[in-house]
Amino acid sequence: MPGTDEPSGMITQVLVNALLLSALYALVAIGFTMIFGIVDILNLAHGAAIILGGFSAFYAVQLGLGIWVGGLAAILVPALFSLLLYWILVKPVQHKNTMVIITTLIVLTMIEEAFRIVEGTGSHVLPSLVAGGTTIGGVSIQYNRAVLFVASWLAIGGLFIFINRTWLGQAIQGVSMSTRGSVLVGVDHEKVVLATFGIAGGLAGWAGLFMGISQGVTWDMGLEPLLIAFAIVVIGGMGSIKGSVVGAHIIGVIETVTTTYVDARLTGVSALVIMMIIIVAMPQGLYGQPGEVG
Amino acid sequence: MADSSLVGEVRARLSWAGLKRAPIRYYLAAVFLVGLALGPTLGGMGTLLMLQWTTAFFFVMFVLSWDFVAGYTGQVSFGHTLFFTAGGYTTAALNLYLGVDPLLGILAGTVVAAVSGLFFALPALRLGGHYLALFTLLPPLILVRIFVIFSDYTGGSGGLSNPEPLLEAGDFAANAQANYYLAFALLVGIFALLWTITRSDTGRILTAIRESTDAVQSSGFNPAKYKVYSMVLSAVIGGLAGAVFVHTPVGSASPSQLLDLSLMLEILLASIIGGFGTITGALVGGLFIFWGLDWLEGVEYVLPVIQTPVGEIATLLFFGVLLLLVYFLEEGILPWSYRQGNRVLSLIRGGQRPVATDGGAPDGAGDAEGVASHEDSMDQGTAGSDAGRDSQ
Repeated sequence: MPGTDEPSGMITQVLVNALLLSALYALVAIGFTMIFGIVDILNLAHGAAIILGGFSAFYAVQLGLGIWVGGLAAILVPALFSLLLYWILVKPVQHKNTMVIITTLIVLTMIEEAFRIVEGTGSHVLPSLVAGGTTIGGVSIQYNRAVLFVASWLAIGGLFIFINRTWLGQAIQGVSMSTRGSVLVGVDHEKVVLATFGIAGGLAGWAGLFMGISQGVTWDMGLEPLLIAFAIVVIGGMGSIKGSVVGAHIIGVIETVTTTYVDARLTGVSALVIMMIIIVAMPQGLYGQPGEVG
Repeated sequence: MADSSLVGEVRARLSWAGLKRAPIRYYLAAVFLVGLALGPTLGGMGTLLMLQWTTAFFFVMFVLSWDFVAGYTGQVSFGHTLFFTAGGYTTAALNLYLGVDPLLGILAGTVVAAVSGLFFALPALRLGGHYLALFTLLPPLILVRIFVIFSDYTGGSGGLSNPEPLLEAGDFAANAQANYYLAFALLVGIFALLWTITRSDTGRILTAIRESTDAVQSSGFNPAKYKVYSMVLSAVIGGLAGAVFVHTPVGSASPSQLLDLSLMLEILLASIIGGFGTITGALVGGLFIFWGLDWLEGVEYVLPVIQTPVGEIATLLFFGVLLLLVYFLEEGILPWSYRQGNRVLSLIRGGQRPVATDGGAPDGAGDAEGVASHEDSMDQGTAGSDAGRDSQ
């Protein structure tokens, strides 16, 4: 009997891990896809927001403000960064694809480089939000990870309510469908774009905090989730929030299964390979509009 | 018949009157090239400096290979490092594991690079914009991870070190000099090839593809053929440069020298800052980025307030400067100086040479071809027959 019990416990454990990972990926991917939907750009500096989130929390804890204040800083600082990024750097070149990619890639590289110089290449530990853990049905769950999971889903759920129920949220949806149409019916385009960048930065920062607590804060923590976000966004369809939540779960499960059952070093590789295949075979993704493929 | 007119054309160009009519920048370029060619032998260039220039030459070749396909056909690839890696790793692995002669290995590496060029070129026919950007961004990133996973065979982040050198010439200094000339010759060859192609009618078709694929198609040319051709040629050049690079004392088949995202970023910036889609701009931009970074790394001045020497944060500062340059000198160094130079000339010559305000070549000024607008009348004689063959 124990022989049959253990694999099922293992499977549940993998499933739980996959759900946690998927929630983290969804946070990163949603912001990325929202920016894509609104201003039609690939914002590579989204990875920098993740790094800033992790380090803001780290500095807040260093100053003795505690991890909860750190969590707040991890949302606000990247949100502000994201706003300024758009305002100062992206806006002047937003219609030039290559320039946007180069600009945001430089920003990502500079932020990585700055933290590498100041903080070194080591990993910085963030304290847990709550201590302790429990075992339910053979699956061990730390309260800390449970809190992170719930908080991520609160953020995702809150975003859905915001997008569907508030005026600004609907304006964001509108601009994402047709900028000209929304402006014609009185939507303040500038405000919508700024709101989107702020939300995206905040979500990415929250993901940075999540990663910092579970794996430590490092100068290069932004690139990997950014690449995974590409894969998710391509699978879900560029610009679709629903698609990126679904895509995050597909990638999250595949990642967890390959790293658990095949080889732990395959982190990121399977997602990227799947993404390349999807780009060629089905560029519009699950929920994207085929018209976006040019 | 075409040949005799070609000979006539060349004679006319090389006559005293033809040489006098050639724009000043050709002479500047010639002086610069002769300086580089004589530097190690007559100029007393030190061994260390020679090695640095050798690295710079290879970097410029990488930039050239990118500029040719991205700047002309508009197929902007963010994964050109794949080609350098295909070339460099293939020949290094063949040499280290099977003992294949470097010359043969370089050939094999170039072929593998050409195949990887096809791997980019075919999806690029269907994909555009963001999707092409993402598609090309990925392969090098995947490859880096695969190299780490199979680090027993690929050396991981350290790479495959010390394949047999292609050239060996006695002591260290003589060896450096031999490799300097090898890199220089390869660079001049690649530059001449790309310069000629882009200034020919084929180059006009490539530029036209960037502007409008439909227009090219309606003129009776097949854009797909030219897109694949330019991407594969770019891959061949990048692969060749990467393959030769690993067999010189300055290069090795390692991710940091052939594959990293930061290398790709430097290449993009070099081409754009030099002058996107001009070939000559890639040369200038590549040298500017290489020596700019090198100079900044050597600055020992300690910045006030943060108490850090400039050299330690050189990369950070340099990317900041490049960002500003990209914003405020968007056309690129070379087109900008070309425009400024023309303005000065027109002042000196009393307004005989009108300057177009949009930065393009002024109408009717036969000897003042625009760098970016490819109004190079010099090539028309040779290009006509070329394009005739190419179009069918």
